[in-house]
Amino acid sequence: MLPWVEKYRPRSLDEIVDQEEVVRSLKNILTTKSVPHMLFAGPPGTGKTATAHAFARDLYGPNYISDGLFIEINASDERGIDVIRERVKTYARSVPFSGIGFRILLLDESDQLTDAAQHAFRRTMEQFSNTCRFILVANYSNRIIEPIQSRCAVMRFRPLPKEGVKEMLTRIAGSEGLKVDDKAIDAVYDFSLGDMRKAINILQAASTISKAVDEKTIYTVMGLVEKGVVRRMLELSHSGEFKTARDLLRELIYIKGYNPSDIVSSISREINDMEIPDKDKIVLLDALGEVDYRLAIGGTPEVQLLAFLAKLASLRAVAR
Amino acid sequence: MTVPWTEKYRPKRISEIVGNKAAVESFLKWMSGWETGRPSKKAALLYGPAGVGKTSTVYAYASERGYDVVEVNASDTRTKDKIESIIGSASQFSTIEGSRKKIILVDEVDGVDTKADSGGISALVKVVSETRIPIVLVANDPWDQRLAPLREKCEMIKYTRIHKASIASHIKKIADMEKLDISVDVIRRLAEKSEGDIRAAINDLQALASMGTVSQLPEAIGERDREEDIFKALAAVFNARNLKTAMTAINNVEMEPGELLTWVLDNAVEVYREPRHLSEALEYLARADMVLQKILKTQRWGLLKYFYALVSGVGLGGVGSRGMRFTYPSKIRYMAQSRARRETIDSISRKIAERCHLSTYKARKEMLPYVALLVRKDRDVAGFFGFDSSEVKYLAGEP
Repeated sequence: MLPWVEKYRPRSLDEIVDQEEVVRSLKNILTTKSVPHMLFAGPPGTGKTATAHAFARDLYGPNYISDGLFIEINASDERGIDVIRERVKTYARSVPFSGIGFRILLLDESDQLTDAAQHAFRRTMEQFSNTCRFILVANYSNRIIEPIQSRCAVMRFRPLPKEGVKEMLTRIAGSEGLKVDDKAIDAVYDFSLGDMRKAINILQAASTISKAVDEKTIYTVMGLVEKGVVRRMLELSHSGEFKTARDLLRELIYIKGYNPSDIVSSISREINDMEIPDKDKIVLLDALGEVDYRLAIGGTPEVQLLAFLAKLASLRAVAR
Repeated sequence: MTVPWTEKYRPKRISEIVGNKAAVESFLKWMSGWETGRPSKKAALLYGPAGVGKTSTVYAYASERGYDVVEVNASDTRTKDKIESIIGSASQFSTIEGSRKKIILVDEVDGVDTKADSGGISALVKVVSETRIPIVLVANDPWDQRLAPLREKCEMIKYTRIHKASIASHIKKIADMEKLDISVDVIRRLAEKSEGDIRAAINDLQALASMGTVSQLPEAIGERDREEDIFKALAAVFNARNLKTAMTAINNVEMEPGELLTWVLDNAVEVYREPRHLSEALEYLARADMVLQKILKTQRWGLLKYFYALVSGVGLGGVGSRGMRFTYPSKIRYMAQSRARRETIDSISRKIAERCHLSTYKARKEMLPYVALLVRKDRDVAGFFGFDSSEVKYLAGEP
């Protein structure tokens, strides 16, 4: 069994779902073979990295990676700009043995680089632009410094429309022998919005429960994946088992490594479903809003969220 | 009077500079441009972390080659006029026949506050374009947007942290010259603690020498005193009858504020049984955390008194703590115990990241929960990612 996000990854530009403008521009580039540096910008799961691979495969042929014509570096994983520049240098220094004369380097999540690192990287781009073209991938193009943007052709990826997601899910369901009803697809879209990776993951997770997927299957799966820990943490605080709740909070932050803002949004969803008086819900949402703000301006996640859990614990004490 | 050893042992010759060979090389090359009358750029901007030899390079060069250094601290001069008059006059004098050659050194360029020093940066740009003598600018972070016009005019020379081994051997040299009886272990610790900042390491060495404790391990001594301190302080804070006693107790603890917060927070959770009191105490600490983060961000250490006041506020719950036993922060224990699990998750995330063209963070957040479901259903999927048996066990939720 393969993860479907890999199994159904597009192999050529023709298989890219939606993103017509981007695909059209890239096909033009393919016919002229004059490839500029490019910036692929757009939300998660809209096919930026997949499109870069598909483009390289269309340009160089199916062995584009093993022939050493395409390399992928993830900016948020590499420790510091010096490591990246070193890798770029060793990779981009030599001219490839292909008819085209340049390689492609994909720098994924390039908006994770600091401004200083981007300035340094800009020089590297210029230094090697004869033998290497760069595709920078970013969620937010405004986090890429001007001098880099101005050197790149910017391709904007849009969140996938519901029809696009539906088309893909139906195709996958067909080849996997899965029955998926329309309401299930609506539910998948509600959870994933325009993020194809998430949509496909949800569908595959649902398929492990049942070969006939309906709305209920989707909710069950999302309960397994998303809820669970956060809900249990709130329940424990509310019932006075504060230290156990703290262990769960620590698990979310330090072990599972969740982004604090993701924890806050799960909590806000859970509050609505809790069986407590509406007045208490308001008090909690008010406190949570404060936590959300404090985290955004640099508060320490454990300290701030723990204070929130204590607040939740104290509500019950007052009510008694 | 004691001379700071950082001054006493400041390199007199270029060859005595520790580390950063490439940067020193670039500096020499740039200065040789001036010597031959055709500098590539009129100013050089030396940048990098503190205590790695930026200023020392300039002084060593000057003393070796017979220059005078005119030093201006950019963040001291408040106005455009001042920068112009100081740098401008030094620049004029240089043309007088027979006088010694000069280098102008402008420190803390990134510390120029644009609001306070109206036109400070543009004055520097102007002076740099007009100067007839070498100007060296020094900064920790040169990438600030407002320094952009200055960067264009400067030879950019980057300094990096100095390797531990180089720091250790340099400290050893100084210790020998000071005839200190110091163990290899202490030297190693000092070098490690310095994090590549040689100035800090030399200062630490001098501090140790002045306390007469160089033969023992510095951390071991500090640690023992500190623990006693913190337990006493915790007892005083949680038993405090009023804010003043609580604040005095907290103020006397010698501990990094962040660490102190962890100690008080984790003990508050142990001490307070009544949810309402706990909530109150934790809200004070959450606010103390905000003050601390603000301080760390803006370096306004004057705000620290508010941090201490808020931390002391935990004692006002009025429960008292007689008979309470205070403990090490449970967070420290938690992090130690969870290390194996964290490493497993990190390794799983890296494997997913590689296969799915994602960063490890996204792999962990967006893929891992789904991959766990798949593994539970069908172990074969582990082969695709190359998970080992302990990773499969973790994903399948088995102990």
